[in-house]
Amino acid sequence: MLPRQDVVEIFSTFIQFDSDRFRGWATDTRLRRSMGKSLTEISQDNSSNFWALYWLRIWQQQPTSLAREHLTAYLQEVCFWSATKTITGFNSSQYTVPDCFQVAIARIDKVLQGFDCDRGYNLKAYASITFANLIRELLRQKKEIDICSEWSLLRKLSQKRMMESLSNAGLEAETIEQYVLAWNCLKTIYVPERATSTRQLAKPTPETWQAIAKLYNQERLSQLKHSTKAASCEDLERWLLICVKAVRAYLFPNVNSLNQPKPGHDAGEIIDSLVGEVDESLLSNLITQEEVAERSQQHADINQFLTATIKQLKPDEQKLLELYYGLNLRQAEIAQELNTQQYSISRKLARVRKALLLALAQWSQTTMHITLTSDILDNISSLLEEWLANHYDSN
Amino acid sequence: MTTANSTMFNPTDLVLELDQTTIERAWLQSQSASNPASRWQNYLNQAALAVFLPWLQVEEDATAKSLWQQAQQEAVWEVVNGTAIAIKDAKLVLIPSEADDLSELRVAQEWLDIPNWSADYYLAVQVNVDEGYVRVWGYATHQQLKQGNFDAGDRTYSLTDDQLIGDLNALWVARALCPNEVTQAVIEPLAELPPTQADHLIERLGNPGQVLPRLAVSFGIWGALLQNPNWFRRLVANRQGKPSVTPVWQWLKQGLTELSTEFGWRQLEVALSTDGSKGITTQQSVVPATGLAKKLAIANHAYELRILPLPEVGAWRFELCCLTPGCLIPAGFKLKLLTAEGEDFAGNEDIATEAVPQLALEVDLDPGESLIWQIEPTPDHYQPEILQF
Repeated sequence: MLPRQDVVEIFSTFIQFDSDRFRGWATDTRLRRSMGKSLTEISQDNSSNFWALYWLRIWQQQPTSLAREHLTAYLQEVCFWSATKTITGFNSSQYTVPDCFQVAIARIDKVLQGFDCDRGYNLKAYASITFANLIRELLRQKKEIDICSEWSLLRKLSQKRMMESLSNAGLEAETIEQYVLAWNCLKTIYVPERATSTRQLAKPTPETWQAIAKLYNQERLSQLKHSTKAASCEDLERWLLICVKAVRAYLFPNVNSLNQPKPGHDAGEIIDSLVGEVDESLLSNLITQEEVAERSQQHADINQFLTATIKQLKPDEQKLLELYYGLNLRQAEIAQELNTQQYSISRKLARVRKALLLALAQWSQTTMHITLTSDILDNISSLLEEWLANHYDSN
Repeated sequence: MTTANSTMFNPTDLVLELDQTTIERAWLQSQSASNPASRWQNYLNQAALAVFLPWLQVEEDATAKSLWQQAQQEAVWEVVNGTAIAIKDAKLVLIPSEADDLSELRVAQEWLDIPNWSADYYLAVQVNVDEGYVRVWGYATHQQLKQGNFDAGDRTYSLTDDQLIGDLNALWVARALCPNEVTQAVIEPLAELPPTQADHLIERLGNPGQVLPRLAVSFGIWGALLQNPNWFRRLVANRQGKPSVTPVWQWLKQGLTELSTEFGWRQLEVALSTDGSKGITTQQSVVPATGLAKKLAIANHAYELRILPLPEVGAWRFELCCLTPGCLIPAGFKLKLLTAEGEDFAGNEDIATEAVPQLALEVDLDPGESLIWQIEPTPDHYQPEILQF
């Protein structure tokens, strides 16, 4: 892959794939115009750090504006490398880099929401670890879904995921509500009869269907917002199979459809007047060069502090961080390297990370005069993740 | 255990091993539940607790323990998902789930809106029994959940994955560095239920055929029923077809609390032949100075069942009296006592062969021994009850 250099390109172009390989960069003309305009009107600064922070601020105020697209463009390389690295860890030829890339980049909001805009300094480092986590989870979930029978799969979902899948399949809100209730009734009535091996639940028996239908028809009266007809066993079975199909389709959406440029991207003038334009009145004083400078001083301080803190950890703890964040090893491999039990890795890592989080939180409290709360600690934890990823990556 | 070992979990997830022995023990312990859904709920919660609590005790807080006694916690699993844990200065609730996608934390309203159930932190716990692991992947405070999405259909509060705090370490650091942070939102107390209404509810919702009792009545009523530990215990005992336990001796020793009166019993002063006011102390035991009485309705007449300590340690008298002045107990009425196993013993019943002022039985009991009382004809709202002496 050929990385981009020019700041306008960085914020306005997208990776194109040729089957499963990088083909080149495609320009979104609307984004290109927007960047050009901002460079003349807002700042001449051509560092991508400045513009990343700038668009992030805009995104926070106007989540539906072009800022999100600019940031999506900005994080293309990071997402590409996260996908490439993570997929090799899975020894799976079933999913290609473009598959994982598209799924991860589509969830960019998780990166933008999670990044601590006030203290975080490297959106790319944070995005890198967030994308990797996302892809890893997706691959793991996909594997689980592939192993499970339809009926077991239905037990493995959160309600949120079920609703998203049905909505993604184009169903109406009322129908979704009905199906979700049917699904909850199935989960209540049809439970595994053994402690393990729950992935191959067979189709429910006619008696079980009747019990599910009875519960559904009773609960629909109080749980559904709209009045509906009573459902038969056949209705329920049909609905639940639609649910299964929707869930399977939702996890890995059709990549081709995502890879297409969105309609209107090249249509020029028309789109400019629609939602997505940045409201200029909000832009003044969002970010200044002084702030960028002040922030980089702060980052240097954090960096110095954490580097020193890590040096004080026990050698095997330092080694664990290096194997985990630097080499991206799997639990089993780390356990082998450290000559320990596989399951103790997560515990050990939690212990080391806690020590670092505690130190960093105390340091922030005293040197930066931050009043700590659970939310702030959540941000500091993200900051720590970002720093660890960055630190061991560059080492 | 292939996935757990061959993949890397995200660094902020806490992944703990769920071994075969723990699985089997949890499964065995879950078998008393009244229906398959409760059994499965019980099982997942037992498994999560069995793995998480020892970890918590070793890593964070040696004093950490189950907030409720086993019997009470199992009663919760009969109707609501979640496990309460007490740490030094805060309460946690584990919310186990089989969901593999980790997209939301969904918590039953009971855990937030019943004052004596509400906690400080709610932990999202994935239990994968096939791969054999328990994963804590996020948490939220009471306050955060109260601001989350409320679903009136299934009465849950939920937060999406990105609204949760993903790193459990943040919780321990928060306890250490900002222990005074407000974690709980203010909640309204629930209106108390009249005992007769509670009796009706216990009967109706105690039917195990009622699969989702928590959604069968309004939350205000359901919550009020659950916040009273004795009503709650009776409800669940009913669902499981087990008699509920009445700790007679303990009550008499401690003096009756509000709870026992809500259980239908009141304290009864007894004129013992000896110095009754302080009770009689022998080498090991004390004869209580008071007895218990419970009002009963049989065929639209008011009666009272009394349990009275006799001057001799371990000796008790059971009486059934009519409450209306001048009224007699009709012929055919029977007062009967059974062992805790439901078996007869010598001299365990008194039958009215003609109308009599009272029926009475006297028994000698060892400490800790239990009895079940019965009356024929059966009183209204009768529930088998194990009296523990």
